[in-house]
Amino acid sequence: MPELLRIEGLVSAYGALEVLHGIDLAVAEGEIVTLVGANGAGKTTLMRCISGVQPLRAGAIRFRGEDISRRPDHARAGLGIGHSPEGRQIFADLPVEENLALGAYHRRGPLAADLDEVYTLFPVLAEKRALPAGGLSGGQQQMLAIGRAIMTRPKLMLLDEPSMGLAPVLVDRILEVITTLRDRGVTLLVVEQNAFAALSIADRGYVMETGRITLSGPARTLIEDPRVREAYLGA
Amino acid sequence: MAELLQFLVSGVTVGAIYAAVALGFTLIYNATGVVNFAQGEFVVIGGLTAAALIGAGVPPLIAAPLAVLAGLVVGLLLYRLAIRPAGQAPLVSLIIITIGASIFLRGAMQMVFDKQIHRYDGFSGEAPIGFLGATILPQSLWIIGGSLVVFAFLAWFMGHTRAGRGIRATASNRLAAALVGINTRAAMNLSFALSAAIGALAGVLATPVTFTSYDVGVLVALKGFSATMLGGVGSAQGALAGGLLIGLIEALTAGYVSSDYKDAAAFVVILAVLFLRPQGLFGARMTERV
Repeated sequence: MPELLRIEGLVSAYGALEVLHGIDLAVAEGEIVTLVGANGAGKTTLMRCISGVQPLRAGAIRFRGEDISRRPDHARAGLGIGHSPEGRQIFADLPVEENLALGAYHRRGPLAADLDEVYTLFPVLAEKRALPAGGLSGGQQQMLAIGRAIMTRPKLMLLDEPSMGLAPVLVDRILEVITTLRDRGVTLLVVEQNAFAALSIADRGYVMETGRITLSGPARTLIEDPRVREAYLGA
Repeated sequence: MAELLQFLVSGVTVGAIYAAVALGFTLIYNATGVVNFAQGEFVVIGGLTAAALIGAGVPPLIAAPLAVLAGLVVGLLLYRLAIRPAGQAPLVSLIIITIGASIFLRGAMQMVFDKQIHRYDGFSGEAPIGFLGATILPQSLWIIGGSLVVFAFLAWFMGHTRAGRGIRATASNRLAAALVGINTRAAMNLSFALSAAIGALAGVLATPVTFTSYDVGVLVALKGFSATMLGGVGSAQGALAGGLLIGLIEALTAGYVSSDYKDAAAFVVILAVLFLRPQGLFGARMTERV
């Protein structure tokens, strides 16, 4: 499969504090790749760099062969990058359906088919479409954030902690949706605290520690790796 | 009866000015969360620029749009030079910056224009129109009409244009807005420009009735802010209703109590709102599950 995303020597900092110290990572079209690591390892910062809301200090981000690291944040959705960020970040005072419609802000044309797709994946959102999004439960807000990213019609979808704070039955539902999206041709980069769940559906994984990639490989290998098991799988 | 009607007419006239100022507050607040205390200065810039141009022989129908344009440019500069460089500073700092900007603008206007009180003739003459025993100045109709047009334009712009949706999304969640492809800086630029233009337009329309000078902006901003609080911060309908109510309360206080207490009325209203209904008339109680 051709390469969709390649990150080379990426360095990023918050003020004087450097948090990513030279990340190299690649994602091929049609893959599910997961980033595993403890809190503060830099996983969210890396995702924010890819969608452009966090500036780079050095390095490059190539998307479909093009260096996009100097493209402004608001241009990235149009390039084909959809991001469901950490902490959901929904438009709390706007209705559920307007939240979803805003996901398609960067393109013109009818939305009905896209909305139907999201409502089929998450029927509960259809029931609440006219209500302010801030009134949804945590799990529903998570679905809304993922649904909004689907509405951008991404080539690459970034999912940051999609199962955070969800009941186990909902976690399974989210994992199902991730594989459904992959089957429809979306490439996914998934950050998860729940490393076992993420590795169980991913093709490949990267392990991050304090701003560096320390381990990478096929998900099946990582799940068996004693270092990963000890540090992240509680085995 | 005629006396009451006369008070109501003058109340609605000044109320329409306060409503326009309150709409300006609402626009910037909704896009950035900032309460822009330089809002009153835009009104003065509009009035003084129009007065200077008309004084120099420019026809009012050309002077008026130029004065609005001057306000718009100053609004953009305020955002570019004072607000944006402050970046991610806390809201309180940004609000203090707008207070500083308002003091700066007052000083600048004193130098660019002068310290005199200015006015020019109303756009449709000065002859009062009789109205059920009261009289109304033709310029009052310009003021009331102008505010209604601004309100209708904003309602359409925010609800039915792409740029308006972008501003609403930016106001709701700036990070999420950037992630779905909204240029959030452009949205904030646009809100400052529109808000300043609205303020300047209010100044251009009001000056024949209320007069203007470099230092009246503070009081205008405080009245507009009271209107915003009364209507409910962030609500456009609230800004319109709040402005008209403050104008009416003021005119009735001046008429039936004493014009010495006219300016106090707005501040009594602020206190009453804070004690009794902090979310204002149209404001939503914020509820959000986390």
